[in-house]
Amino acid sequence: MPENTAAEDLVVVRNLRKTYGATVAVDDVSLSVRSGEIFGVLGPNGAGKTTTVESIAGLRTPDSGTVRVAGLDPHTHRGEITALIGVQLQASELPDKIKAREALQLYASFYPEPRDPAELLELLGLTKVQDTPFAKLSGGQKQRLSIALALVGNPRIAILDELTTGLDPQARRDTWELVRTIRDTGVTIILVTHFMEEAENLCDRIAIIDGGRVVALDTPAGLVDAARSEQRITFRLSGALADETVLTSLAAVSTVSTDNGRFVVTGNDDVLVAVVTTLAAHGLTPIDLHTEQTTLDDAFLLLAGRNFEGAN
Amino acid sequence: MSQTLSLTRIESKLFVRDWTGLFFVFVLPLGLLTIFSLIGGDNPNPDDGIPPSFLPTMAIGIGIALLGMATLPMILAGYREKGVLRRLSTTPVKPVKLLVAQLLLHLVAAALVIGVILGAGALFFDAALPSAPLPFVVAAALYSIALLSIGLLIAALVSTAKAASVVGNILLFPSMFFAGVWTPGDVMPESIRWLRDVTPMGAGMTSMQDAWSGQWPGTVSLIALVVAIAGCLAVAARFFR
Repeated sequence: MPENTAAEDLVVVRNLRKTYGATVAVDDVSLSVRSGEIFGVLGPNGAGKTTTVESIAGLRTPDSGTVRVAGLDPHTHRGEITALIGVQLQASELPDKIKAREALQLYASFYPEPRDPAELLELLGLTKVQDTPFAKLSGGQKQRLSIALALVGNPRIAILDELTTGLDPQARRDTWELVRTIRDTGVTIILVTHFMEEAENLCDRIAIIDGGRVVALDTPAGLVDAARSEQRITFRLSGALADETVLTSLAAVSTVSTDNGRFVVTGNDDVLVAVVTTLAAHGLTPIDLHTEQTTLDDAFLLLAGRNFEGAN
Repeated sequence: MSQTLSLTRIESKLFVRDWTGLFFVFVLPLGLLTIFSLIGGDNPNPDDGIPPSFLPTMAIGIGIALLGMATLPMILAGYREKGVLRRLSTTPVKPVKLLVAQLLLHLVAAALVIGVILGAGALFFDAALPSAPLPFVVAAALYSIALLSIGLLIAALVSTAKAASVVGNILLFPSMFFAGVWTPGDVMPESIRWLRDVTPMGAGMTSMQDAWSGQWPGTVSLIALVVAIAGCLAVAARFFR
């Protein structure tokens, strides 16, 4: 590869851009996935997560930018890529009457070196329902079968898109455990999700995507640390502040917003002192001042620039 | 090729498991043959110009029309609607192989419909078999391919199974009308009889009737079938995603 990437980078995406008509699905995404990790792609709906992973799988042609999977261009090397990457797509069903075992045997016949369907049924806890038609499986069983189909070609990389959406909490936790088991068998996993909890629990590293851009890429612990170092203060003012840039231009301040006349300011450890002294210099006093402990939700609000709740 | 074969095997199993499809494709034509043979068998009106081959060709025509205008487009549009084709596109198999598998199994089903009607007619109702076997095979094959091409065209243009079923029904009833299902032989007004020779279902049934009476089917009907096949496949290939 011409790019100076680490040897263990299995997937490298550089400046990916994809538009559908006037809609910019992915603006500018760069990331790399290391061999053997569970890599999270986290963001609200419409952030460009699915388009990004579909480009990695070769299902979409980027407008610009490059994607390399094990050094190959997924679009021009479709044949190799389909054997290299197993994909569990969002909202991809099977014919109603096909049995779990039949589906796995059928998909196994598509690949040069498939995994043993019986072994996969066992691994995914589907042996008991192997003769049940797809339409009669529970949501969790359908999802597990879908994961099995993504793995049956013996891929090096598995892309799992929103795999726990619509599952109950227990089924969700079981699925997480399963994903860890699969990773332990040597499969690199790219997990697309809009659940923070899922990404935090499962992923080695997370790329947070919003508005078609990567706004943060770190380990879950790193993201939380970054968020915890943020201070958040709220207050009212004794008078009117003519110009908000007085605050936003301060080095210690990262965001300023107002909520019902109440100022909400976030920044680093020095934010409190910087804000209070600056306001005093303008003859203003903060009233009813609070400093708040940052939560993980605040971290995502901070990183993505908006709340995640609307996404569910 | 082995991928196409394993797809055809599974798709055939799924086809057989759907009893509503089987009922309409096999039992309905057989029922029509039985009922009309029983009520009209003794008293064919010699003056209405309805050949004895009308009844079996109508039964065959309807069975195959249901394969082309109902089951094939509904299955394929349903696969697109549910993301089955999309999932397939993530594997080394091209989704076109699924189309080939469905076409193969629908051709086999069409052959079975013909076999069932010919067999039941000969066994239970003393009906004659087609007296020109080769022309009959040619006519039946062209008719089957033409109707399945219509099915592919519908599947290419709609995005849900429900839409496929609506479009199929909208096409099926006028097709049956113009094929003279309700106005066989001389009962159909002379001014619109030409439609019977050129609409796919009419051309197919007329061709099979010609072969039944020992002749090669009329050129107009054969050309009409070939044009229907070429036109439908061209448009379907252009729009199928």
